[in-house]
Amino acid sequence: MLWIAIRMLTGDRQKFFGLVFGIAFSTLLITQQLTLFVNFLGRGTTAVYNISSNDIWVMDPVSRTPDTALAMPSTALERVRSVDGVEWAAPHLREGATVRTPDGDLERVTIIGVDDTSLVGLPDAIIAGDRNALAMPDSVIIDSVGTARLFGEEVDPIGTRLELNDRRAVIRGIVDAEPTFTSQVILYTRYSNALTYVPGARNRLTFILVRATDGTDPQALVDRIESETGLRARTREQFARDGVDYLIENTGIPLNFGITVTLGFIIGITIVGLTFSLFIRDNIKQFGALKAIGVRNHMIRKMVRAQAAVVGLIGYGFGVFGATLFIKLFEDDPTFKGFYTPWQIPLLSLFAVFVILAITGYFSLRPVLRVDPAEVFR
Amino acid sequence: MSGDIAVSVHGVKKSFVTAHHVHPVLHGIDIDVAAGDLTYLVGASGSGKTTLVSIMAGILTPSEGTVKLFGTDIFAMDHRHLVDYRLSHIGFIFQQYNLIPTIDAAANAAVPLIARGVNRHDALAAGNRMLERLAIGDQAAKYPHQLSGGQQQRVAIARALVHDPRLVICDEPTAALDARSGRRVMDLLHELAVGEDRACVIVTHDNRIFDFADRILVMEDGLITHDGKEVPVEEDMDGTA
Amino acid sequence: MARLSFSRQILPLIAVAGLIAAIVFIVTGTPDRAVTDPPETPFRAGGEIAGKPRVAGAGVVEPSSETIAIGTSLSGVVEAVMISPGARVSKGQPLFRVDTRSARARIREGDAAIASARAAIAEARNAEATAARQLALYRSVEDAAAVSRAEVIRAEGDASSARARRQVAEAELANARARRASAATELERSTVRAPIAGEILGVDVRPGETVTAGPGAGGPYVLMGETNPLHVRIDIDEDEVGRVAIGEAAVVSPRGEADTRVDARFVRAEPLVVPKRSLTNQASERVDVRVMQLIFALPDEAAGDFRVGQQVDAFIPAKVDR
Repeated sequence: MLWIAIRMLTGDRQKFFGLVFGIAFSTLLITQQLTLFVNFLGRGTTAVYNISSNDIWVMDPVSRTPDTALAMPSTALERVRSVDGVEWAAPHLREGATVRTPDGDLERVTIIGVDDTSLVGLPDAIIAGDRNALAMPDSVIIDSVGTARLFGEEVDPIGTRLELNDRRAVIRGIVDAEPTFTSQVILYTRYSNALTYVPGARNRLTFILVRATDGTDPQALVDRIESETGLRARTREQFARDGVDYLIENTGIPLNFGITVTLGFIIGITIVGLTFSLFIRDNIKQFGALKAIGVRNHMIRKMVRAQAAVVGLIGYGFGVFGATLFIKLFEDDPTFKGFYTPWQIPLLSLFAVFVILAITGYFSLRPVLRVDPAEVFR
Repeated sequence: MSGDIAVSVHGVKKSFVTAHHVHPVLHGIDIDVAAGDLTYLVGASGSGKTTLVSIMAGILTPSEGTVKLFGTDIFAMDHRHLVDYRLSHIGFIFQQYNLIPTIDAAANAAVPLIARGVNRHDALAAGNRMLERLAIGDQAAKYPHQLSGGQQQRVAIARALVHDPRLVICDEPTAALDARSGRRVMDLLHELAVGEDRACVIVTHDNRIFDFADRILVMEDGLITHDGKEVPVEEDMDGTA
Repeated sequence: MARLSFSRQILPLIAVAGLIAAIVFIVTGTPDRAVTDPPETPFRAGGEIAGKPRVAGAGVVEPSSETIAIGTSLSGVVEAVMISPGARVSKGQPLFRVDTRSARARIREGDAAIASARAAIAEARNAEATAARQLALYRSVEDAAAVSRAEVIRAEGDASSARARRQVAEAELANARARRASAATELERSTVRAPIAGEILGVDVRPGETVTAGPGAGGPYVLMGETNPLHVRIDIDEDEVGRVAIGEAAVVSPRGEADTRVDARFVRAEPLVVPKRSLTNQASERVDVRVMQLIFALPDEAAGDFRVGQQVDAFIPAKVDR
């Protein structure tokens, strides 16, 4: 019986394609917009996730996110090291500065000071140059998006001299890091070097990167660090989450994307709902005949469900493919660098498709279920 | 030509209730249709004949009275069993054929079997066989819109008969056909739908085919006014729809 | 059903293929956010202290004598530098010498003055003897007429003046001697000597350069200290002071060599809590953190891993019951 239902569905090509298009378009819109939404919010986490070697961030009690942080006295590092369960702790400076390019332009940059000897805090993926080049005097490593922003795509920046706080800085490498929300140029340098690049302030130690010893629960260590040092400690995931919350609280992103996603949902319901009810209405005589012949309502429901499933599957397949393809195609664009489709989002849009089809199916089915089989004799 | 009682209608009354008043359609019908008979139900529009066959087929519930098909009181069953009973024991032929346009003739013919859960291959084979018996086996792979009206009605007959029902209900089976096709359809119905333990009830206006009837019931305003082999002269119908 | 149906077969196949492609995109596109090990590990607690309560500190390596900044007692142009950095010196060994010419000239001047004073004494003695003899001769003459009274008086005067001249000459000799001795002392002071036995850590003076004596003058010209054994001076944040188990050995690593860990013996705790000295090369650093300084002695066998002035990280056991 179900194959008859599917024949009924695909037999009317216009409505079938209309339904598929409606679902595909809604899926595309919902998936793509949710993906962009999540990824733009994800920009709040890049500062955390660019560093893969620590599991805890320690900061001043008033610090909130990687970019809104108050520096600590330098002895904070030793105090954190004193805490039981700390495998190692490395200083991490993160501060804004203004750089003068060779052209004489001024550009806001983020200076990141990594641990002098181990270079903990430097992203792992080096595109050009050598991480150990940071040991040379006045060396900085620039991020790939920053390179494009500062010099353009074609120019090889290695060896370029910049001026930072009246000091020389020579670019000796490019690192593959995901840009932050403001997509400022990021310059990585050694901690002691960074101190000279950042205009003087009493305390400079913005963060301490901590690794828990094997077998230590990071959350337990976070609590211990907080109680023993009075500093604020966050696990990597918590701190990434803080960055997202900051963006949610301080930008219009959730509202904008929320509107678009809702529109996608409404458009989906409208297109699919109208087409589906038209389709059902066209076939209502056949359904009536089937009911007269002796097909139970239960089977009619199954038939409509099968039709919805086919439309849903095909439309969803196309929609999700389109949305993921979009992310794939633009992965090299600096605006979308590092964007990815979290697996939860296609599931969410699948749920949205399900809801769209359930609502429209319910309203389309009602006349079928209500139709009096005796109608076929009139 | 009489055997067992196939359809037994007793004291059936039916009123349609609208928001403002009750509209009585059947005023008390008592008929027994014998197995082996080709029974016609004729009458003017609004005389209640469609309502009566709907009740006989178990599609419409009467306000009063009982309907027994081959001894079974169909309205004593719960709704679900009644639907299943229809599927197994009643064949339907509609004026507008009501074929499913997106499946071919064989599949259309096989619909009752498919609905009963017979697997697709066997059902289609049965559908094909039935089409061959109706002499349109060569049209089995065609879609309804590729067939002429007579061919479509034959597919509809195949669908009505494919599951070997004991009662066939036909609603104006020849109304949309020319005289020749109509007669051919009636030939086939007479040949296939009528047998020892089965009955066929045809609702029609079509006086061109009255000669096939074993029995003609005339309805007027919700009552049977004539029961016989022939149509009374004064009841001559007003054309061929 | 030989003909493929676009709507029922091809389209769903494309959709499924698209879905699979989407899954591939999702799986391959998902960033890896697992925690990884860094290529180099920062300083970490290892060995026995890893699992115990501990206090971390940072500090610098210094000589056990602390670093002695040697100045000069005389200003002047440096004439010779007798040592080079890294040399071991014994106590009193000359390090460098300021120009000695003026001192030597004054010694020679003194010598000449002594000689001349001696000559004057000799001459005065002769005169004194002559006058004494003359006076004795006059006194021995009986005949009063032979020697006038006046002559006797003159002879007496000659004798006393000759004596006085000798006394003046003798005084001049003493004076000349004293001046020479003073010049000799100055000559000695122009050579700067090692105050203790130790190692020369730095030399910032070269022959021909001027050195200045006195407080607020230049220098230090030579840095030295006893580097056997080496000490480390570890800063402990004042908040942590109460936790430190004073007297326990510390685990010390040179900065940048986290895997080199040595046990350093406790020497003493500085009684004074001082403002943290910044080790960040920033002259204008102002701090509001004070630190307690603990001194530890590095074992002899670890001497090769540490250099004076090098920064170190350290872990000190904490009091077990706090």
